[in-house]
Amino acid sequence: MAKQKAFYFDASACIGCKACQIACKDKHDLPLGVRWRRVFEYGGGSWVEQNGVKVPSSLFSSYLSTACQHCESPVCRDVCPVQAITKREDGIVILDSEKCIGCRYCEWACPYSAPQFNEETKAMTKCHFCYDLQAQGLNPACVDACVMRCLDYGELDELRAKYGDLNEIEPLPTNEITNPALVITPHKHSQKSGEGTGRILNLEEEV
Amino acid sequence: MNVHDWALITFTILVQMSVGSMWVLGAVHFFSARKYGMEEADRMSDRALLAIVPVIALGFLASLLHLGDPFNAPRAVTNITNSWLSREIFFGVVFAGLAVVFAFMQWRKLGSFGQRNVVAWLSALAGLVLVLSMSMVYMLPSQPAWNSWNTPISFFTTTFLLGVMAMGAALVANFVYEKRKNTGKTTNQLEILRATLRWISIAAIVLLGIHLIALPLYMVTLAAGSKAGLATVQLLAGSFGWYLGLRVAFLVIGAGVFAMFLYRYALSAGEEKTLSTLAYAAFVMVLAAEVLGRFMFYAAHVRIGI
Amino acid sequence: MNKENMIQKALTDTVLTRRSFLKWSAALGGTAALAGGMNLGLKTVEAAAQTAAETDGKWVTVACWHNCGGRCLLKAHVVDGVVTRVKSDDTHPDSPNFPVQRACVRGRSQRMQVFGADRLKYPMKRKNWAPGGGKKELRGKDEWVRISWDEALDIFATETKRILDEHGNKSIYATSYGDAFGALYYDPISRIFSVLGGNVGAWGTVSWGAWPAPSIHMMGGFPSTNDRLDLQNSKLIVLWGANPAWSRQGNTTSFYMEAKRAGARIICVDPMYSATAKTLADEWIPCRPGTDTALLLAIAYHMIENNLQDQTFLDTYAVGFDRDHMPEGADPKENFKDYVLGKYDGTPKTPEWASEICGTHPSVIRSLSQQMATTKPAAFISSYAPARTNRGEQYAQAFFTVGWMTGNVGIPGGVVTWDPLPGGPPLVKLGPRGTSYKDNPVFPSKYLFPFPDPADETWTGLNWSEQWDAILNGEYTAGVRGKQPIDIRMIYHGHSAMLNQSPSLNKGIEAHRKVEFVVSASQFLTTNSKYADLVFPVTTYWERVGDLISANRESIFWWQQASQPLFEAKSDLEISLALAEKMGIDIEMIPFEQVIFNQVAGAEVIKPDGSGFEKLVTITADDIKEWGVEGEPQKGRISLKEFQEKGVYQVERKPGDRFTHIQLKAFRDDPVANPVGTPSGKLQIHSANLAGHIAAFGWDKIAPIAKYEPPVEGYEGTLDGEYPLQLWTPHYLRRSHSVFDNVTWLREAFPQEVWMNPIDAEARGIEQGDTIKITTKHGTALRHVKVDAGIMPGTIATGEGAWADRDDDTGIDMAGATNSLCGPVPTGQGVQGWNTTNAQVEKWTGKPIGADYKQPQRIIFGEEA
Repeated sequence: MAKQKAFYFDASACIGCKACQIACKDKHDLPLGVRWRRVFEYGGGSWVEQNGVKVPSSLFSSYLSTACQHCESPVCRDVCPVQAITKREDGIVILDSEKCIGCRYCEWACPYSAPQFNEETKAMTKCHFCYDLQAQGLNPACVDACVMRCLDYGELDELRAKYGDLNEIEPLPTNEITNPALVITPHKHSQKSGEGTGRILNLEEEV
Repeated sequence: MNVHDWALITFTILVQMSVGSMWVLGAVHFFSARKYGMEEADRMSDRALLAIVPVIALGFLASLLHLGDPFNAPRAVTNITNSWLSREIFFGVVFAGLAVVFAFMQWRKLGSFGQRNVVAWLSALAGLVLVLSMSMVYMLPSQPAWNSWNTPISFFTTTFLLGVMAMGAALVANFVYEKRKNTGKTTNQLEILRATLRWISIAAIVLLGIHLIALPLYMVTLAAGSKAGLATVQLLAGSFGWYLGLRVAFLVIGAGVFAMFLYRYALSAGEEKTLSTLAYAAFVMVLAAEVLGRFMFYAAHVRIGI
Repeated sequence: MNKENMIQKALTDTVLTRRSFLKWSAALGGTAALAGGMNLGLKTVEAAAQTAAETDGKWVTVACWHNCGGRCLLKAHVVDGVVTRVKSDDTHPDSPNFPVQRACVRGRSQRMQVFGADRLKYPMKRKNWAPGGGKKELRGKDEWVRISWDEALDIFATETKRILDEHGNKSIYATSYGDAFGALYYDPISRIFSVLGGNVGAWGTVSWGAWPAPSIHMMGGFPSTNDRLDLQNSKLIVLWGANPAWSRQGNTTSFYMEAKRAGARIICVDPMYSATAKTLADEWIPCRPGTDTALLLAIAYHMIENNLQDQTFLDTYAVGFDRDHMPEGADPKENFKDYVLGKYDGTPKTPEWASEICGTHPSVIRSLSQQMATTKPAAFISSYAPARTNRGEQYAQAFFTVGWMTGNVGIPGGVVTWDPLPGGPPLVKLGPRGTSYKDNPVFPSKYLFPFPDPADETWTGLNWSEQWDAILNGEYTAGVRGKQPIDIRMIYHGHSAMLNQSPSLNKGIEAHRKVEFVVSASQFLTTNSKYADLVFPVTTYWERVGDLISANRESIFWWQQASQPLFEAKSDLEISLALAEKMGIDIEMIPFEQVIFNQVAGAEVIKPDGSGFEKLVTITADDIKEWGVEGEPQKGRISLKEFQEKGVYQVERKPGDRFTHIQLKAFRDDPVANPVGTPSGKLQIHSANLAGHIAAFGWDKIAPIAKYEPPVEGYEGTLDGEYPLQLWTPHYLRRSHSVFDNVTWLREAFPQEVWMNPIDAEARGIEQGDTIKITTKHGTALRHVKVDAGIMPGTIATGEGAWADRDDDTGIDMAGATNSLCGPVPTGQGVQGWNTTNAQVEKWTGKPIGADYKQPQRIIFGEEA
C-alpha cells in the first residue's frame, strides 16, 4: 500500500469547541471566511407531550471536526485545469496558490469544502496537513490544539488497524466520491453518511 | 449570485449561441447555395457570420472575468489529460480560432471554397466538442444537479435553439439591411429567408419540445436521486419557482407561439415587416429564457457533503 | 528601578509608531480596516512553511489572563518583535494522568485580540466634554478627540480633585477591585482613590450566584471539589447546570471524560442539551431555569417516600433533616423532611408537584432520585449558574441538602460541591508578591466579593443589581441600616466591564449620562469606555514585563513579555504612578522585578511523600545580581532560568498517588475531632444564621431550610402570557465574559445566536437564521435565532457578554448584550439573578441583521491620527 497520511477524529469525545479551527487559522494566518478546519454540529429529534409534560423524543446531536481528507482519489486534483493541486508521496494533497488561476472549479468538485477561496489573493487555498511542522517532527496545529484529545493523525493503514475503517458519518458525504483518508470513532449519536435523519445545526454555516 | 456566476452565465450562453449559429449558418449556406448559387448564399450569410465574431469574443472575455488571476489563464490547458475544464478551454480556443479564421477568410474570400469549407467544418466540429466538454465540466459526482444526462442534453438543446433563433434574427436583419441599401435585387434573398425562417420555426418547435420533455424528467429523477438533488428540486420549485415559470413561459412564447407565427407568415410573401418583428421578438424571448435557465443552473445546484 | 525612572519610562516608553503597528498588523494578517496593501493569507505553501519555520524567532510563555474558568499555558512565537503564531503547552509528553495545560479556542485567538486593529492607540476625550461634564447626554455617541498623556492625566487629576472637594469621597464610584500592584483582576489605578480617602465600591456575588452565603452557613466555608483523579472513583456523576465544555475550558472536560472512561455514569441536569451533555452524558434531564429547587425537593420526596436517604449519615453528620435532629434552638417543626412531605403546609413535594414547575417528567424525577440515592460513590457537582437566579439561595440550600441525603461526603468518588473544576489544595504554590497597599476606607477590599457584612454599619458600596438605580435615585440599600442616601458624581472603570456586564444596561447608560465625570481605562472601546468622557489606553499582559500565576493545584506559570506596548498604551500600573505624580500623592511601590522575584523565590512544591513543601527554585547569587533585586540564594528543584524558559512547573500525577484530595474527608473520618465551621460543627440542613444573614441584607427573606418559593421573574412569571419565555444567559465560547467579543476569528466561529426550541419557533413563524426581536421588561435586542431541539421548550438562551450596541433612537440593542435584557433585581445576599428573566420573542420584520464578523470594528483613530 502506498504511503498515505490521514487524520483521525474521535466523535465520541469532541465538544465542538473549535480550538482546532482557530489553531489552524492562527498557524496559517487565514483571513475571515477561510476555515481550513471546520466544526459541525449534526443533530435532530423533537419533543412530544407525555401526560401533559413535554419530553425530548429521540433527540440526538454530536460534533464533527473536519478538514481536507487528503483523499486517495482527490477529485480537486483531477479537475484543476492548471495542475495547482498535487498529491505528495506521503499522500498529502497540497495546493500551490501561485499556480492557481482562481477558477474555483475545485471548490465545486470537493464534497468536503477543503479548497477555499481567499478573497484577498483571489486564489484557492487548502489544508496542507501542516507538512512543514510534520517535517520538523511536530504535530499538525489542529491535533495539538484539541483539549479533548480527539484528533490524531498518522499512516492510514496504521490508523485503520488501531481505530477501524469508518470514514463516513453525517454530515460528511459518503466515501465513494473521493476515498477520504480519514478514520473516525463514532459518537453514540453518529449516523452513517447518506442515512442521516438530522441536519447541520450550526448557524454560522448559514448566516 | 455573484460576479463569478454572471461571468459563467455570459460565457456559456454566448459561446453556445455561437456554436449553434455556426451550424445553422452552415446549413443555410449549403441549401441556399445549392438552389440559388454561391453568391446569393454568401450574400445571405456573410454578415451574420461576421456578427458571430464579437459574440465569441465577448463570451471569452466573460470567461476570463470569472477567474481570480486571468493572466495565468493560458496555463489552464495543462491538465488536458484529466480535467474537462482544461479540455473545455482547449476546444474553446480551437473553436474560436477556427471560427474567426473562417469568418475572416469568408469575408475576404481568401483561399478556395474547398479550403474555406474545411475550416468551417473543423470549426463547427470543434464547437460540438466544445459544447460536449462544457457539459462534461459539470458532471461532478458531488453535484447531483449537474451530474445528470440533462446537462449535455440541455446544453446542446440550448446551443441549437439559440443558434436558430439568433440566426433567424440575424438573417432578417441582414435582409432589411440589403433592402435598405438597395444593392440589387432581393427577390432571391427573400425566398431564401422565408424558406430558412420556416425551417427555423420547425427546428425551434422541435428543440422546445426537447426542453419541455427534459425538464420534468430531470426534476423527477433528480428529486429521487439524492438529498442534495432533492434540495435543488425544492429550490427550483420553491425560491426559484418564479424564475422557472418565467423561463418556461418565455420558451413557449418565443420558440413555440412566435415560431408558429413565424412559420405562418413565412409561407407568403409581403409580410417582411411582421417577419422581422417576430424573428427579433422570438430571439429575445428565447435568449431571456436561456439566461434564466442558466442562472438557475448555477444558483440552484446543491453540492453533496459539507 | 526607582519611582522617578519608572514614571519616566511610563511617560516616554511608547516605542511603537503607527507605521510599525500597521506593519505588525499586516504581518499578522490583521483585519479589514488595515487591509491596504496587505497580503492576507498565504499565497504559496512554501511561503507558509517559511513564515512558520520555528528555527528563527523564539517561543515565549505569554499570559492568557482571562476570567474564563480555566487557566492554560500559552506560548507566542516572536520573530523580530512580532508575534507570528501561538501554541500551547508542549513542555512534556501529554497523557491523561499528566496532561499538558492545553489552551482553548480563545487563548488560541489571543494574537488577534492583542494586535487587533481596534486596540485603543491614544488617550482621548469626548469632544463635547467640559469640566463638570459638558454635554453629558452625548456620552456614548460623541466624537473622540486624541489628547496627550499629559492632558489626560491633568483632566483626571483636576476633575477628581474638584469632585472630591465639592462632594467628598462618597461621590466617587470605582467599579474595579483595587490593589497595589496589578495582580490579576485587580486595578492599581483605583488605589489612587484609596490614598485620597476612598471611594464607593461595587459589590455583588456576580458569577457565583447565591452560593457563598449558604455555603458559609451550611458547611462552614467554600468547598473544593475532589481531585480530578478521585473523580475516576465515582460510579455516578451528576453535573447540575454545569457545562464545563463552555465555562471551564482547557482540560476540565477531559477530566470528566477520563472519569467516564473509568466507568462513571454521567447525568446532566440542564435547560439545554449542552456541549458537555452531548459528549459526556448518559442521560440528559431538562429542567427549567430557576426551578431546580422544586426538582430537588421532589428528588428528596422520592428518597424519603422509599426510605432511600442515608439516614445514618444524616444522623451523624448533619442537623435539620428531621425533627429528631434539629440544631439548638430551632423549631422542630421546621425540619426539612416534614416540609418535603408537606406535613404542615399541606403540600407534599411530589414529583408531580415539581413537574408542573420545573417541566421535568415525574417518572424522570423518580428515576433520577433512585439513581442518586442508590449509586455509590457518586459526585453531585453543581455549577454556579442555577444559583445565578433570583432567590438562588434556596437552590443552594436544596442542592446541599439532597446531596448530603445520599451520604456522598468525604469518601473516595463522593462529593457534594458547587464547583465543576476538580480541585484540592495546591501542590505547587507561588511565593507572596510582597506588595501592600492602603485599603479603601469607604469600602474595604474584603467586602468587594462576594459581599460586605450587612451588620457592619461602616461601609458604603453599591450592589451590582442596585448601582444604577442608586445613582439615578440617590439611595442605596446598606444592610441593616436600610436605605441610605448616596450622591455619585464620578464613575471610574478600570479592570471591569461593569456597564456591559451588570444588570440593566439601559439604566446604566442613563446613570452614566447623569454623573459629572466618567473615566475608563481599557484596551478597546468597550461599553465602559464608549460611555466615558476620558479614556486611557491600557496595555495587555503581552506588552508588560511578565508575571506569575497559580494555574491550578498542579501548575504554576511564569509569563513573559511578548511585545513592546502598542502605540501610546500604558499598563495600568504605569498609569497609576503617573497619576500619583500628577496629583502629588505618595503611593507605595516596589520595582515589578522584585514582585516577580518574590513569587519565584517563595515558590514551594509538595514533597514526593506528601509530607510538606520544599522550595521549588534554585536561586544563585548571580541570578539576584542579574535581576537587580533583593533576595538570598537558595536551593530548589529547578533553576530560575529553567523555570523562566519553560514558563511552567507542573507536578506529575499518578493514580493512587499521595496527592489526592477528597472534600471533607477529615470530617467524615472523625466529625468530632474535625467539625465543619458551622455553629453545630455539622452540616446544617437547617441554618437560622443563614436566614438571618440573608434578611440582614435588606431585600428579601429565606427560610432556614430549603424551600421552594417562586422567584421574581421565574417560571411562574411567564404564566400571565406577557413574557411567556424564560431567558437564561450561559457563558459562551466566543468570549470570557465580555473579553474577546471583538475578536473577529471568534465572531466568525461563534455567532451571537439565540437558541430556541422548534416548538416555540414554529408558534411564532420563526425559522433558523431569522432575525428575531427579544423583549423583556428591561429592554429589547435583535439577534439571529438558532432553532435547536436541544433547548427546553419555553426557554431561550444567548451567551452573556456581547458588547452592547444600543441604537439610541429605538432603544434596541443590536448586539444581543444580555444586560440589555436582564433586569436589576437585588435579592438575598445581593445576587445577580441573570438566569431568571422573562422574555417574549417575535420575528423581526425590519432589516435583518448581518453576520457578526462582518460588522465594522470599533476603530477610533485610523490613518489620519
